[in-house]
Amino acid sequence: MGKNIKQIAIYGKGGIGKSTTSSNLSAALARLGYRVLQVGCDPKSDSTNTLRGGQYIPTVLDTLREKGKVAANEIIFEGFGGVYCVEAGGPAPGVGCAGRGIITAVEQLKRLQVFEELKIDVVLYDVLGDVVCGGFAVPIREGIAQHVFTVASSDFMALYAANNLFAGIQKYSAAGGALLGGVIANSISAPYAKAIVDDFAQKTKTKIIEHVPRSVTVSQAELQGKTVIEAAPDSDQARVYLSLAKKISKHHKSTTPAPLAIADLREWASKWGRELLRMESGEISSQAAGI
Amino acid sequence: MSTAIERPRWTCALGGALAAAAALPRTVPIIHAGPGCAANFAWTQNGASGLQVGGPCAALAFPGTNLQENEVVFGGAERLDEEIEQTLKIMDGDLYFVLTGCVPEVIGDDVDSVVRKYAHRGVAITSASTAGFKGNSYFGYEEVLKTLFAKVLKTKPGRREKTVNVWGLPPMMDVFWKGNLAGVKDLLGLLGYRANVFFGPGASLEEIENAAGAELNIVLSDVYGLEAARLFKKIHGVDFISLPPPFGAAASDRFLKLAGRRLGLPARKISEIIKREGRRHYEFLEPLIDVYNDMEGQRYAIVIGDVNYGCAVADFLTDDLGWLADLVFVTDDLSDDERASLDKARSARARPRPEIIYESRAGAIAEKIDGRWRPSSTKYHNSRRPAFVAGSSLDRALAVSLGAPHLSLSFPVSNRAVLNRGYTGYDGGLRLMEDVISSAILMR
Repeated sequence: MGKNIKQIAIYGKGGIGKSTTSSNLSAALARLGYRVLQVGCDPKSDSTNTLRGGQYIPTVLDTLREKGKVAANEIIFEGFGGVYCVEAGGPAPGVGCAGRGIITAVEQLKRLQVFEELKIDVVLYDVLGDVVCGGFAVPIREGIAQHVFTVASSDFMALYAANNLFAGIQKYSAAGGALLGGVIANSISAPYAKAIVDDFAQKTKTKIIEHVPRSVTVSQAELQGKTVIEAAPDSDQARVYLSLAKKISKHHKSTTPAPLAIADLREWASKWGRELLRMESGEISSQAAGI
Repeated sequence: MSTAIERPRWTCALGGALAAAAALPRTVPIIHAGPGCAANFAWTQNGASGLQVGGPCAALAFPGTNLQENEVVFGGAERLDEEIEQTLKIMDGDLYFVLTGCVPEVIGDDVDSVVRKYAHRGVAITSASTAGFKGNSYFGYEEVLKTLFAKVLKTKPGRREKTVNVWGLPPMMDVFWKGNLAGVKDLLGLLGYRANVFFGPGASLEEIENAAGAELNIVLSDVYGLEAARLFKKIHGVDFISLPPPFGAAASDRFLKLAGRRLGLPARKISEIIKREGRRHYEFLEPLIDVYNDMEGQRYAIVIGDVNYGCAVADFLTDDLGWLADLVFVTDDLSDDERASLDKARSARARPRPEIIYESRAGAIAEKIDGRWRPSSTKYHNSRRPAFVAGSSLDRALAVSLGAPHLSLSFPVSNRAVLNRGYTGYDGGLRLMEDVISSAILMR
């Protein structure tokens, strides 16, 4: 491998804004001058939609299924800012094995050696983050991504999913797998939301890379089939994504997280649950609580 | 997982199921699995079952879906659909039996819905879930039986007088299954009963479909097929008895007494049958008896086999040959419950039987034999010689190390060619006598 390609994987619970974050991050990295390849690793195959004007692209697995083999020009499509887009694809819901699909698609990309040919600087895998089976852990295993970032909100289920991911990273860390770059805190508007994710990051010995506020700009851009970087390049939200892109482009050292044991995680969540209840009932204000 | 699999004496659920489905009359098994399963069974299983490899729809000639990566990712249901469609065009059968391997079970293929489509079209087709990770060949055999009882048999077919159903001898895992089933069929014929044996040349689909009309179910095993028997009773209300395969005269006497009594035959009639058959049997045996005495034909025996063979061979050697079955190893991977029920069944029978040692690992069997059979310098040490090993092909090296003659009876039997040989019944006992004694004097 001639140059040092930065390969990162973005994980997060379904619906948490993982693809939105990935696409905006790719677009922002492109605007900073990097050559980026985004690989959607979710059978829904909509990771790169906003980079391609809202259009779906043929997936690696569909192409493989139809033709028996794939060529680079059949699966790689250029999107906004020159970002190369790939969708792994997968079976229809309820049939087959999506996990094996991810493995197959990633193997095809490795076989085609597209990173070298396209002189890619950053490869970004956007992966369904519940890590339900070994297939979804492929990008964090040896030889694929070096850094993992997880998108999480202050929603407890999102943090449970992040904690599971941390357990996966910890498991593979000894065998040369990817390490954790940090948490991208998404949809952070309420004051307590920031406190919850910050506390979670501290407890699991990781850090928050960026707090991304909830913004109507994102929805407006997505309705046009665009990223915020394309649709509203000068907006506050675009600046947040550019800041995230700068941090990630400079990020070099990831670490092994310390996932909470399930009982500790429940205890931690219920402590926050009681706290939020007290805020809601007016017993304490968020300011009085120091957050 | 604390122990390794060492020289296993079975294959996987799909192997046992495939052997069973292929043994059903006019039945075409369709394997829904990844590549290699059927090919492995051809030699590993069928070859080691007395070389019973070939056939018009056997071993290497089964329809199969041969699932590839494409099916793993996108699901294999469409591929199965295509395979069934094509099979119906070119494979002539009266029943089609879909069996699943590990791959479709891991990815969760909805096999039932594909099979149902053909069943609605009037095709006689059924399926069983037989992934290798669910169990071994005996489990697969039992799954095929359960599928037949739950899905293929007619409910309330009308009483079929003087008929019984017989199972408990898994095809291929019981190397002598064809001959053994025929022998039991003959025994029941002596009682005036017709036996539906489900598998092999003596079976018919018409009899299988009407099996729920039988008077009684007879399971020729203290373990295999019992779960299926309970299911049969639950669905169709037919009761069952169980006993080991009746190898030889003594076991055949017991079989006729138990089955005859349960079928309501007068005790006097059963005694007459036993007496008549005994006279005939011992007339054949007579010429050998003087030689046996003069040659000092008695032996210490080590018996190694599955549940059926371990018990039935040890009983035969003890009761019919007067040998000392010193160590009896049952090699199945049985649960504690199964062991307890086998021990209970054996102790409930009249005579004290040789105690069973449960051990699946060939190395551990050898160690246990060493501990007891090691030569000693003590003058009055019981050397347990002359010895004989009645086991499988895997126990040949052990026999050689003990300087003992050896006969392969329990699976795997890869050093004998088996066609219709069987050891059940009175005549089966004569054949077993011939084989055992011939092996014991082979080097003369």
